[in-house]
Amino acid sequence: MFSAIARIFRTPDLRRKIGFTLGVIVLYRLGSFVPAPFVDFENVQTCLQQNQGASGLYELVNLFSGGALLQLSIFALGIMPYITASIITQLLRVVIPHFETLHKEGQSGQAKLTQYTRYLTIFLGVLQSTTLITVARSGQLFGASGTAECTQLLTDDSWYSLLLIVITMTAGTGLIMWLGELITERGVGNGMSLLIFTSIAATFPAALWGIQEARGFNTFLMVIAVGIVIMAAVVFVEQSQRRVPVQYAKRMVGRRTYGGHNTYIPIKVNMAGVVPVIFASSLLFLPSLLVQFNQPAAGEESAAWVTWVSNNLVSGDSPLYMLVFFLLIIGFTYFYVAITFNPEEVADNMKRYGGFIPGIRAGRPTAEYLDYVLTRVTLPGSLYLGIIALIPLVALATVSANQNFPFGGASILIIVGVGLETVKQIDSQLQQRHYEGLLR
Amino acid sequence: MPHSRKVLVEILQVVLQVVLGLTSLLLTFLILLHKGRGGGLSDMFGGGMGSNLGASGVAERNLNRITIILGLVWFLTIVALGLITKFQAGV
Repeated sequence: MFSAIARIFRTPDLRRKIGFTLGVIVLYRLGSFVPAPFVDFENVQTCLQQNQGASGLYELVNLFSGGALLQLSIFALGIMPYITASIITQLLRVVIPHFETLHKEGQSGQAKLTQYTRYLTIFLGVLQSTTLITVARSGQLFGASGTAECTQLLTDDSWYSLLLIVITMTAGTGLIMWLGELITERGVGNGMSLLIFTSIAATFPAALWGIQEARGFNTFLMVIAVGIVIMAAVVFVEQSQRRVPVQYAKRMVGRRTYGGHNTYIPIKVNMAGVVPVIFASSLLFLPSLLVQFNQPAAGEESAAWVTWVSNNLVSGDSPLYMLVFFLLIIGFTYFYVAITFNPEEVADNMKRYGGFIPGIRAGRPTAEYLDYVLTRVTLPGSLYLGIIALIPLVALATVSANQNFPFGGASILIIVGVGLETVKQIDSQLQQRHYEGLLR
Repeated sequence: MPHSRKVLVEILQVVLQVVLGLTSLLLTFLILLHKGRGGGLSDMFGGGMGSNLGASGVAERNLNRITIILGLVWFLTIVALGLITKFQAGV
């Protein structure tokens, strides 16, 4: 294991790639500390101090930008517009036939879809930065309880300076997108996911230290121990898959034989990845948004349903919220697996190349069998996703950590997923040179 | 004397703002000109098989160079603007 690490650095090509990746990550982190123009840096900082761990509307988004959002830095939007844009283009495949044909076209169609995603990212960047600036200007960014400093986050709020901030932040979003693409192209791993990984990992030390300060060293050590156990469990489930055997028939073409080998279709327990958790949490933003918009005027009693919603569906420690969250995740897991893995398509492809699952006829029966296996394997997968996503909410209730509790929810899934993916890539690069890899 | 310096600083600020606006727009435009890499969501959170080969041509390399330079200018302008605002507040 350790000699493998040494070998990584002895391979010039791999060393250069890793160095490049680290350099881009450093640039990205640096940019998220530079405040955008016309932002009052000192006011923002004092405000951040006052509102440590306060749960706002922007919890998840702030997590994804590594705390850059609330600092109103030039990279405030982080990778979020790109994620949203990718989700939208992927979902639009179901709705717009043109997108579906592009997707089926293979490489060239995929390139076109990526191009659409990039345009959409810039558009969303404009939209989200405008929203952010509007909220910051009205002093609502840190919740309604803001003090005088929190309502004056901008030094100048004439229209042209607001416009300049929006343009700058949009350019920042574009730059992040480009940095991610550069990593994908010349570094190791997938750039976008590595950047998300960095942002989330960057909030870890602060969150952990916050627990230490609030509860002392015993709880701190216990949380770390529990965290390592959870992480091991997540790695275990992420790696587990059902292998459906496929036998390819031997074919004679001219004087050569083709095929005749055994392979398998890997069906992962958690085929959907983190996406369901992201979907579910963004959907559960809606109630708190609704409550925000229906705040009663001063001195008035708020409507009964508003009180009910804000009691049950806004904060993470109410049982109803947890239940809804859990059910939403299970639903979205099935939904997303259905979008990404199409049994009929796989069965058709297999038939075309003369492959079959032993004991099952090619064509429709194969598709039905695959569907049956997929549905059954995904059930534990969805339950697992739901439980992992509930961990931060439980921790909120028991250890009084804040909602960004590091070992759980979307953050741990992303950390483990991206980490595994990157290590696998480095591994395959090592094995290209006949070395033993990192993974056994 | 302090008065004229104040005017100078203000002029500098306006110039920097214009530069910032222009570079931001150009940067966004240039980045959109790049060929996209990475295949969307399934690629991002595991799942799909990564297949990103393909050498970048001369055009892409020049585009990279221009983008890097523009990005540097953009970044420096922001830092300069921030410093000016800070010193103005300090005086």
